[in-house]
Parts: sequence; C-alpha cells; structure tokens
Amino acid sequence: MKTTIHIWDLPLRLFHWLLAASVIAAYVTAKLGGELMDWHGRLGIFILGLLLFRIVWGFIGSTHARFSSFFPTFGRVRTYLRGQWQGVGHNPLGAFSVLALLSAVAVQIGTGLFANDDIAFEGPFYHFINKSLSDQLTGWHSLLFNVLLGLVVLHLLAIIFYRWVKKTNLVKPMLTGKKDIPTSLAFELAQQQHTHGVGAFRLIISLLLSSTIAWGVAGGVEKFFPAQAAAPQPSTSSNADF
Amino acid sequence: MNKKITLALLLTVSASAAFAGPIEEQIRWRQSAYSYLSWNTSKIKKQVVDSPETFNKDYVAAAANAIAAVANSGLGELYGEGTDKGIGWQESRLKPEFFQKKEEVKTIANSFNIAANELAKVAATGDAATIKTAFGKVTETCKSCHDLIRVKKE
Repeated sequence: MKTTIHIWDLPLRLFHWLLAASVIAAYVTAKLGGELMDWHGRLGIFILGLLLFRIVWGFIGSTHARFSSFFPTFGRVRTYLRGQWQGVGHNPLGAFSVLALLSAVAVQIGTGLFANDDIAFEGPFYHFINKSLSDQLTGWHSLLFNVLLGLVVLHLLAIIFYRWVKKTNLVKPMLTGKKDIPTSLAFELAQQQHTHGVGAFRLIISLLLSSTIAWGVAGGVEKFFPAQAAAPQPSTSSNADF
Repeated sequence: MNKKITLALLLTVSASAAFAGPIEEQIRWRQSAYSYLSWNTSKIKKQVVDSPETFNKDYVAAAANAIAAVANSGLGELYGEGTDKGIGWQESRLKPEFFQKKEEVKTIANSFNIAANELAKVAATGDAATIKTAFGKVTETCKSCHDLIRVKKE
C-alpha cells in the first residue's frame, strides 16, 4: 500500500528551480561578458536573496525544508551507514549534498560581492577592500566555481543513480511536491514527527527578510553607512578645473 | 588608417621591440595604457550604467575619446618578444602563449579598435542608450583578450 504525501513545499520547489536557472544564467552572462556583466551582477544579488530565503526557510519552513529535520547528525549518519535509516526527506548523504551545494553557492556570492573584472564590473562591496584583495577574491570566485560545478555534477549523477539503480524518481517530487511512500512508513512518521505546513505568516517573514537584505547589499550599503562607503566619486566636467 | 598601423605593428612585434625600448619599459607603458583605459571605462560605467541620473554628455564623450585614443595608439608595439616575463609597474601578466596566438589577438585588437572608435562616435551624439550598447561592445573585446592571453590571478 502506497500513500501520497506532501514532501517539498511550493516555496522550496520554486527556490530550487530558480536557483538552478539563475546559476546557469550567471555562468553564461559571466562567460559572454560585455553588457551582460550587469546582468551577472543582478543575478548574483538575486541568488543572494534565494540563498537567504533558503536559510530562513530552513528554520521556519515546512517540515522537510527544515535543517533540523535533515541535518546529518552523527546519529543519523550512523543509522544511515548501517542501512537502517528511514525517512522521506533528505537522507543523511543527500543532506551533505544540500549543505555542500548551498555552501558552494554562498562562497560564490561572498567572493563575488567583492570582485572586479578589471574591465567595468565591480561587486557592491568592492570599495570596502583594496584592489589586490579584490583581485584575489575574484580569482577564487572563478576557481571555486569549479567546486560548485563538481557538486552539481554529483547531484545530477545521484539523480541518475536513483532513477536507474534504485528505481526512485527524485525529479518528480521536486516538480509536483508529492511523493508516494509505503503507507506503513507514512503512518510511522506521522506518529514520530511533529509536522509543519507552509504557514503564510512564516512565508511572508522569510520573503521580507531575504529580499530586504539582498536589496541592502545591492545598494552597496552606502545608503546606510555613507561615510564608510566613500567610493572615490569621479569628478564631472562641471567641477573639474582642468 | 590608424587601425592598419596597429595591425602592422602587431605583425612585426619583434621588429617593433627595437622602437618600443627595453622589455621592462614596454611592460610599463602597456600597464600604464591599460590603467588609463580603466579610469576612462570606469567614468562611462558610472555615468551611463550605474547612475544614469549623473549622465554628463561632455564628460562621457571625453572619456570615450580617451579610450579611442588609447586604442588607436598602436598598443601592439608594446608586445615585443620577451614581454611575457618581467616587471613594469608590476609583474607582466601576458601569457607566453601570446606569441603563438598573435593571429587571434590581432582579430580581437581589430574589434577593439572598431568598437572604441564607434563608442567615441556615438558618445559625441550624447544618446545614453546607444552609448551603453557601444560601451558593452568595447568591454566584450577587453574580456576576449583577457581570457585569451592574460594571466588570471588565482
């Protein structure tokens, strides 16, 4: 007997696909350069917003979105390695994958905010540090992208492995949010776990928090701390003497 | 005409090394030229892309003319044999492969010249939208060359 349960909530699924699409777009715009670098910067801010949303949602989202429900604790990993782990959300190995992917994206955002391309791109925090440090961070930004790429490849390989070897479709639940599991397991889980739905209030809080921070970062913070962000203002012909 | 001169100079790098002086001097002039370019691209970026409300036609046109002047100055002359190693204002970041990739570089240098002259032309009209597009074309050529023959900092 199978029972269909709601596993990935809609905000989580939107987060997932928007993240995938914007990371691809960010890669393409960086490769093409020119005018598209403006879009690379905008996508970076958007991805920052997505990432912040995911972090907040990891605390106040629905059951399987919460870090507490899947964080690979020592006990969970041990159970998993013994082949005794039972659950429907991220298994401990998947949890490592999720956390590694999110961290790799965070590294890209963190370095990108301070980056410059020696042409016409400067991250919003570029002026807070000196040029050589920015160059260093820019180097890491392009080098460490390979780590993210590697993790994405592993992620895709795992999906293929589950599809063909373990006969489990992981993509469909990420599209529909629904997953078929044995009724007995569903019953057991319902007894063990306190479940959380999406909750409009918690969703609004998450969206507001993440978009406000991303908006603040996009403004280069100088709106809030004008003295610190004293970027050299190029003089215009009107006030230049020669 | 100036474009042709640039190309001719690029073609005869080894010969031109004699005109352009010792290796360190070529590297130093080269780095100065690109720093000056960078100052001028940052002016356009600021007033055309980042804060369009500050757009000042004359200021942007002056920057565009400076960019075109650098592009037309015959930078190829500063890429003599041996200039992949050495210290100008800082260590040379020219990849040694440059000397095998001159044909490709020549094509990019040519696009850069065309784009820079086009930018100067449209900057004179003062139409910010057109300038923005033309400016994007210039920065694209910067990137093509950086990707091809410039050592990345890692």
